[in-house]
Amino acid sequence: MTHIEFSQITKSFKDNHILKGIDLEISAGEFLVLVGPSGCGKSTLLRTLAGLEKMDGGDIKVNGKSIKNIEPQNRDVAMVFQNYALYPHMNVAENMGFAMKLQKRSASEIHTRVKEIAQLLQIDHLLERKPKELSGGQRQRVALGRALARQTSIILFDEPLSNLDAYLRSQMRIEIKRLHQAVKSTMIYVTHDQMEATTMGDRIAVLKDGQIEQIGTPTEIYHRPKNLFIASFIGSPEMNFMEGSLVQKLPWPEAQKPGQILGVRPEVFKISQGSLKTSELELGSFQVELSENLGGQQMLHGRIEGQSIRIFADSTEFFSKDQKISVKIDLTKSHLFDKKTGLNQRLLGA
Amino acid sequence: MIKKLLAWLGALLFAIFSIYPMLYVLGVSLRGDNAFQSQTLEIITSTSTVKNFISLFTQTDFLMWMRNSLLVATVTTFLGVAFASTSAYALSRFQFRGRNMMLFSLLATQMFPPTMLILPFYIILSKLHLIDSFFGLFLIYSSTALPFCVWQMKAYYDTIPKELEEAAVLDGCSRWLTFYKIILPVSAPALVITALFSFMASWSEYVIAAVVLQDPQMYTLPLGLRSFQASLATQWGLYAAGALIVSIPVLVLFISISRYLVSGLTIGSVKG
Amino acid sequence: MTFLRLWILWVLTLTTNIAHAEKMRIQIWHQMIYGHRQVLAEAIQNFEKENPDITIQATYRETEELRSSYQAAAMGGSGPELVYGPSDQIGPFATMGIIQPLDGIFDKEHFAKFDPLATPLYQDKHYMLGALVGNHLMLIYNKKLIATPPKTTDELIAIGKKFTVDLDGDGKIDRFGLVFNYTEPFFIAPFIPAFGDAIMKNNAQPNLDTEGVRGAFQFILDLRDKYKIIPKECDYETANALFKQGKAAMLINGDWSWGDYKEAKMDFGIARIPMVSQTGRWPSPLVGTTGYSLNVNVKDPARLAATLKVLNYLTSEKTQLLFTERVAVLPSLLSLRENPAVKNNPLLQVSSDIMTVGTPMPVVPEIRAVWDSLRIQYQKILAGSLTPDLAAKGAQVMAEAQIKNMNEIVQPDASLWIIKIIVLLGTIWLLWASRSGVMGFIKGFWGPQRFVYFMMLPAFVGIFAVIIYPFFYNIAISLSNFSLRTFQDWSLVGIHHYVEALTEPKFYSLFLKTLIWTISNVFFHVTIGVFLAVVINQVLPVKTFWRTLFIIPWAVPQYITALTWRGMFNQEYGPINLFLQRFLHLSPVQWLSQPFTAFVACIVTNVWLGFPFMMIVALGGLQSIPQSLYEAAYLDKANAWQRFRHITLPLLMPVMVPAILLGCIWTFNNLNIIWLVSNGGEPGDQTHILVSYVYKAAFNLYRYGYAAAVSMLIFLILIAWSLGSLRTQFKKEQKS
Repeated sequence: MTHIEFSQITKSFKDNHILKGIDLEISAGEFLVLVGPSGCGKSTLLRTLAGLEKMDGGDIKVNGKSIKNIEPQNRDVAMVFQNYALYPHMNVAENMGFAMKLQKRSASEIHTRVKEIAQLLQIDHLLERKPKELSGGQRQRVALGRALARQTSIILFDEPLSNLDAYLRSQMRIEIKRLHQAVKSTMIYVTHDQMEATTMGDRIAVLKDGQIEQIGTPTEIYHRPKNLFIASFIGSPEMNFMEGSLVQKLPWPEAQKPGQILGVRPEVFKISQGSLKTSELELGSFQVELSENLGGQQMLHGRIEGQSIRIFADSTEFFSKDQKISVKIDLTKSHLFDKKTGLNQRLLGA
Repeated sequence: MIKKLLAWLGALLFAIFSIYPMLYVLGVSLRGDNAFQSQTLEIITSTSTVKNFISLFTQTDFLMWMRNSLLVATVTTFLGVAFASTSAYALSRFQFRGRNMMLFSLLATQMFPPTMLILPFYIILSKLHLIDSFFGLFLIYSSTALPFCVWQMKAYYDTIPKELEEAAVLDGCSRWLTFYKIILPVSAPALVITALFSFMASWSEYVIAAVVLQDPQMYTLPLGLRSFQASLATQWGLYAAGALIVSIPVLVLFISISRYLVSGLTIGSVKG
Repeated sequence: MTFLRLWILWVLTLTTNIAHAEKMRIQIWHQMIYGHRQVLAEAIQNFEKENPDITIQATYRETEELRSSYQAAAMGGSGPELVYGPSDQIGPFATMGIIQPLDGIFDKEHFAKFDPLATPLYQDKHYMLGALVGNHLMLIYNKKLIATPPKTTDELIAIGKKFTVDLDGDGKIDRFGLVFNYTEPFFIAPFIPAFGDAIMKNNAQPNLDTEGVRGAFQFILDLRDKYKIIPKECDYETANALFKQGKAAMLINGDWSWGDYKEAKMDFGIARIPMVSQTGRWPSPLVGTTGYSLNVNVKDPARLAATLKVLNYLTSEKTQLLFTERVAVLPSLLSLRENPAVKNNPLLQVSSDIMTVGTPMPVVPEIRAVWDSLRIQYQKILAGSLTPDLAAKGAQVMAEAQIKNMNEIVQPDASLWIIKIIVLLGTIWLLWASRSGVMGFIKGFWGPQRFVYFMMLPAFVGIFAVIIYPFFYNIAISLSNFSLRTFQDWSLVGIHHYVEALTEPKFYSLFLKTLIWTISNVFFHVTIGVFLAVVINQVLPVKTFWRTLFIIPWAVPQYITALTWRGMFNQEYGPINLFLQRFLHLSPVQWLSQPFTAFVACIVTNVWLGFPFMMIVALGGLQSIPQSLYEAAYLDKANAWQRFRHITLPLLMPVMVPAILLGCIWTFNNLNIIWLVSNGGEPGDQTHILVSYVYKAAFNLYRYGYAAAVSMLIFLILIAWSLGSLRTQFKKEQKS
């Protein structure tokens, strides 16, 4: 069980500051996802932990001991790469057993371990094949297997699923989660896909421009976004943002100040029926422009007082174009952001 | 259809163009009368005989030259591959002072007329007491083939993803092990090309060998062949037979590695 | 691993096997023809039996190579103890100070034992002890055809006409009256004094603008064009082959060739070259000797004594007799002239008679300039671009200029001081500017990046030793007066040679020719290479078979390629002309005796050996073009050409450009093909490109300083060009 602590990590390439003093603590056995738009420094942070990237300042402690001066090959860290980085001249079994072979483990031990992991990943029939004879999904499993076979206390994932198609990706997500529960290593997973982040992480750290914007459980981040960036980055479809007259309808005193933005997730909108609860607010009349059928639900694209809004509705109902519906929102699930600072005003008081 | 026919025709024409000269040499080697000239286009005539080939092996030191050439060529190849693969790796993977300068100076070495290097070569080698020594040849051959080999190896290394090495490092490899266990095996096609170029450079080189080797016991094949070729009295039959046999190992080498040749010969983009 | 160990072991045993014994070893470099070498080997064996403490190592070198490698070796302070060659090499060698006079070693009585021809004097000193006398030209006739040889040129022409016949009536001459290597001035030299004066006067001055030269030139032209008794194109090998096959009644050749005809079991006779009817004078062949000279570096008394022992043995009666009996050469020792082996040999007797009208071979170094200018002018006449009159005038001017260049000892000028100052300041600046760099470099070996440094080290030590040092050495030579007369004590003189090269129009015309050479070669390499790559990739079945087939030219060593193609371009016997005649019914082309066609021949040869490389590069490039692009183009209804033009070509370019760049550099500097196919720039020095010109200047005309300066200019041109093209390429890539 390994506990990791990053403190004040800085890193820059020439004038480009990639990491601007990152503080992050990861508890033993946790599955932490680093998410953020490309160029935010998430991969770099991961690579400093692996030792593939030297940091300019700060320190990383693993179980309380600094690993700053430990060479990457001695850090007891495994990593799964985006392009898998399988050794093309070795077969699957050799790929998986390579690290153990370097550690001078006995052949039988390596064999047993490789077999075991291969069975766990259902690739035991591929052990004799070379990487180029495998499909993308199979390669991904082998890369995973190589990382697992080493029995390291930390496993890092650098966007491992981005080269797979949507179906395989969703399958592998579950697989990796399952493996985490089975092996109990501390795992750090980098992705730019917020969906992956929210479905997989015990906790999520959202990065932007070399800084951590928010850390928390997926639910926390989803429901209590610290700022405008996180609110818009996490969640699909994206949160609706409204300005001006719509904001002023709110009963909150902060809402009356200029430069405020109202943020409401699509599922928080409800079609008004009967009386309003105290936490609810009738926002206005929604003019339907387009309906998108998602199976159990449909998403309605339209406008309220000229501002573009998306809301969810039950797919059994029929809405025609230009039909006007009155909609309400749940105030406890709505957010108010300051346009200038981006901060979530509703969280400030709390 | 017509286009296909034309393509076939072109290919056949060039096929004749590329093999006829060697057939011609074959014809000369089979002639019994030690004449380069004969007014016939046939390769094999009624007077054809393998006499020249027999006397090449029985009456001349051909086998000894062959042994010397093989020795020189294998050592040169080994040194060339060892030097080119290591330094090209450094040039491909690490940023250090003067890297671009080094790359360009490698290219620049190809621009100096090689004939003017003979005299200085001799002076260096005689100072190092390497005249009449295979070590002198090893040194010169492996170094003169190096610039091209380094360029070519570097271009190939550039195509290998960095992650492969990172994976190896995290698996516990030192830098040397990463190079030796991962990069070298992956670069097999380029190594083969480098080996081929080093081999060729030493197998058929004549001018420098003539300066370095003075003891007939140490003659390599080109030197030996040239000794059939006196100023005004050439042993054409022996020469042609020898020429054919000299070309065969290179040809076999080429054929056996031709699949690597296509995938391994990356001179790369100029960007460097 | 075990394989590696075994291999190293094998290498070690092989290299140690060749370790030398403790005996005194005397080296001889010689240029004996094949038959003579075997006799020499026997003589050496006998000597070693009698003198077990000395071993002799005889090394064969072709004449020109013997010259250049001996020069390099002797200058480096070593080289063979004895060098054996024709008498005309003593002039240059003695001038360079790389052979020593024999006068202090042997007394007058010893020299007197030899035919005066065998002990030529250069600047009143003996530098050579001849082992045989002769090397002269004569008329050799096929006794089956001719009973009595012609006495005069009129008879020669008459007999020649009689035997020049078209036997099978196909309009092509099947037998010639006379053949000889008439493109080489040495072979027409006997006629020159017969028409007028000798080619040298006052010992070392050229005498070429004479009736003799004009007359001889015209005479050969007449033989070829008016009387038509000699072939249109004829080099040494062709003449020899024609004569041996009975396709020529008479031949002009030297005494060295007898062995060849004996071996071919020919019934032949020899005679004087017929008297010139116009003047009533006998053509006078040059008579010389071939013998041994002593290396200047032999100083150690013990070594000198051993060397002299060898020299005495090789010029002794016993050895000379062995040679006379085996290969019928005229011994140089007068005491052997009455020996039955000489007396009873009819060939030697006639040969001695021929020698009575001969002229001693000039040994002064200036003779090289005479030969060279005669060759250049004469080959221009044969190609029809000059008249004998103008040619004779031109030869004189050229020879004088060459001799001036050769003998010139350039004195330091003001530029030397400037250069010295620049170099000094430059060095100081470089040391100062690079002090941190150098320190950083040295520190690098202990720093975190030391792995990189150790990876780089072996390759760069090698490259430095083998390429960088010679490069700077060359810069020094290019600024020096290094030439024939300053061979042992050259000094820096300044930018003289650069100025000289850049003010000569010749440099620019050669540069232009080099450009044409490079561009046309690379153009064909790339076009053929890409064409074949595309055809192999898209049309032909069994790709590997075709690929292998087209690789053949690449696998053949260049020197073999060159000589093979030279043979293929032969006017009389080359398969190319035979093909033209038999299948296309065209008249044969004199490929190698016209400047334009000779240049074309060089290009064809070089195209042959160069296209496979480009083909392989292109094949590699084609593999990386996804098939889907072609399918898309198919749907867009693009035809084959459009597909090539818009898909293949642009995607192939990034792969081809570096190959083309390298190809240009290699072709620009490719000496082998030009030199070997055109036989050193023939006809008349008109097929040179810059590098072959440099080679000639350095190794044939001894102008090392000048050659080094021109090669530096070549280097600078290539550097500038490649920097330029790299930059434009870089810009293009930036844009896209």
